[in-house]
Amino acid sequence: MSTLKIENLSKQYGDVTALEDVSFEIEDEFAVLLGESGAGKSTMLRCVNGLTEPTEGTIALDGTEISDSQTDVGMIFQQHNLVEGVSAYLNALTGSLNRVSMLKSLFQWQSREDKLRALEALETVGLLEESHQRVSQMSGGQQQRVGIARALVQDPRLLLADEPVASLDPSSAETVMGYLRKAAAEHDVTALVSLHQVNIAAYFGDRFIGLKDGEKLFDVRRDELTPELIDDLYGSVETVGLAEQDETVEEILNNGKAPETASKPEAVTEEIEA
Amino acid sequence: MSTPRPESKSIATYFGYGEAGDSDAEQKLQDLKRRKTKRRLWTLASVIGGGVLFYFSLVVIEFNLGMLYNQVPQFIDALYGPNNYFPPGELFGIPFIDLGAYWSFMMEENLILTIEGGRIVWGAMFVTLAVAFAGSVLGLPAALLFGVMASERVIPYPFNFAFRATMSLIRAIPGLVWFLILIPLGGVGPFTAALAIMIDTTGYLGRLFTDELEEIEDGPIEGIRSTGANRSQVVSFGMLSQVFRQFIAWIAFDLEHNVRAAIGLGLIGGGGLGLELYVQRQTFHYTNMMACIILIFLLAGSVELLSQRVRSYLREEDDVEKSGVIEALVNAPKNILSSTMGRRGH
Repeated sequence: MSTLKIENLSKQYGDVTALEDVSFEIEDEFAVLLGESGAGKSTMLRCVNGLTEPTEGTIALDGTEISDSQTDVGMIFQQHNLVEGVSAYLNALTGSLNRVSMLKSLFQWQSREDKLRALEALETVGLLEESHQRVSQMSGGQQQRVGIARALVQDPRLLLADEPVASLDPSSAETVMGYLRKAAAEHDVTALVSLHQVNIAAYFGDRFIGLKDGEKLFDVRRDELTPELIDDLYGSVETVGLAEQDETVEEILNNGKAPETASKPEAVTEEIEA
Repeated sequence: MSTPRPESKSIATYFGYGEAGDSDAEQKLQDLKRRKTKRRLWTLASVIGGGVLFYFSLVVIEFNLGMLYNQVPQFIDALYGPNNYFPPGELFGIPFIDLGAYWSFMMEENLILTIEGGRIVWGAMFVTLAVAFAGSVLGLPAALLFGVMASERVIPYPFNFAFRATMSLIRAIPGLVWFLILIPLGGVGPFTAALAIMIDTTGYLGRLFTDELEEIEDGPIEGIRSTGANRSQVVSFGMLSQVFRQFIAWIAFDLEHNVRAAIGLGLIGGGGLGLELYVQRQTFHYTNMMACIILIFLLAGSVELLSQRVRSYLREEDDVEKSGVIEALVNAPKNILSSTMGRRGH
């Protein structure tokens, strides 16, 4: 149960404007940030996480302004950003660093609850059996799931993910997104996820925020997301299908145009949560 | 197709200073040739410069082929014969080196260890090992501290230089000289040798740690930061955890190196095998010298082997040279030399 409120957020890197006057509010939703590379998605997430300081504007979580990295906000990175040389369990446990002193964390004297929480988080993402394995020996999809587990151990109120599936194959991508959705639902947290793949976004998201050249282009719910909006966002890109394609590639080639079907699967999230 | 242009054979053209053709490609070809000529001239100049330096070096060291020629028979005489490097003896009735002579000296001088009245008396070999091990362990905390603090990732730019400079100062002075400096503190003996190795380890192992830390990735650091961890937790979990295995590997390497350094320190009074070797040389007991050398060989070789195993185990995924028993033993003398004289055979 949490509300993220972003007001008039701007960010400049020297002369380059990465974000300009973006405002929105999300509450207990699985929100997706859409947009081309360089549209400002990563900057937005890094600002919310406190890894980057915004030039202007405010970010508030449940009415409290966020300025620095904090344990209330869990972040999942594109390149997972785990420590590769140690086990999945120890990586998940680093999510609890904020709750222990330096000395205790060095000797792994975290409380029993924190240790169990780490293992439960790994169970949530289906990696309890593999939790002793070194992260470097895991597949890309598994690594990303460890990243989700670490964020969950923080016991966050807000979960952020920056292109969590950009470097994964379609099958792993779907699995990881499924676990992310499940984790957000189980822990009852608001999630803000940036994605490249429109299909995946439409499949998993409740709410869609489109960024173009640093500005907010649209902010819609699932039933309001139309192929036209997607076209506005990316320009007319033939290979961006909004949902499952009914036509085969041959039919598309024969028709000479991209499919614009927009049937939205509804039963997906229930499947995963079951 | 046009007829081929007659090749101009002039030397100037060959070196790129002849008349260039009119097409852009021909102009470029001339240009390339000119660049090549310049490169060649520079190479020639550096070869000549290197040669001149080499010549003067030979003059300074009074290099003398005639002396080598005259002395070779004497050296060969010193190899084989009673009280020489290889004393004659018999093995199963066949003429061979008298291995017993080595063994009896090792026992007589307690080079390995003896048991007297139920008490173990550690010999010279273990004194050398102890000097190396104690020195390494004593130097390790300071090496860790300086190594981590000298990294720009941990301490911001101008301030990390205090630690870097300290380590540079330590390294500028060879271990042998540190031993001489410290004699008033610990006397001429193994204690001072261990202190010298401690200081040496701080300078070198610390520097290796720093270098390793410079190469870490930003990702995991950001990952730990994003959890809301404090600054020192970010350093230990985001940075040090990335290089933990490399650190262990470097410690193993440094221990290996310190064993060789301890032998060198023994030669100037630090005790152990080195000292024994020095004493025997002064009294021209070549057989006894050889007995010491054999033990040095075995000690340095086995420590190196052990260290190699540790390192290749730790870096099983990386490409690391996997040297076997033979290779480690063959490399031992070379590494002992390089460690005694200066630093870092590898």
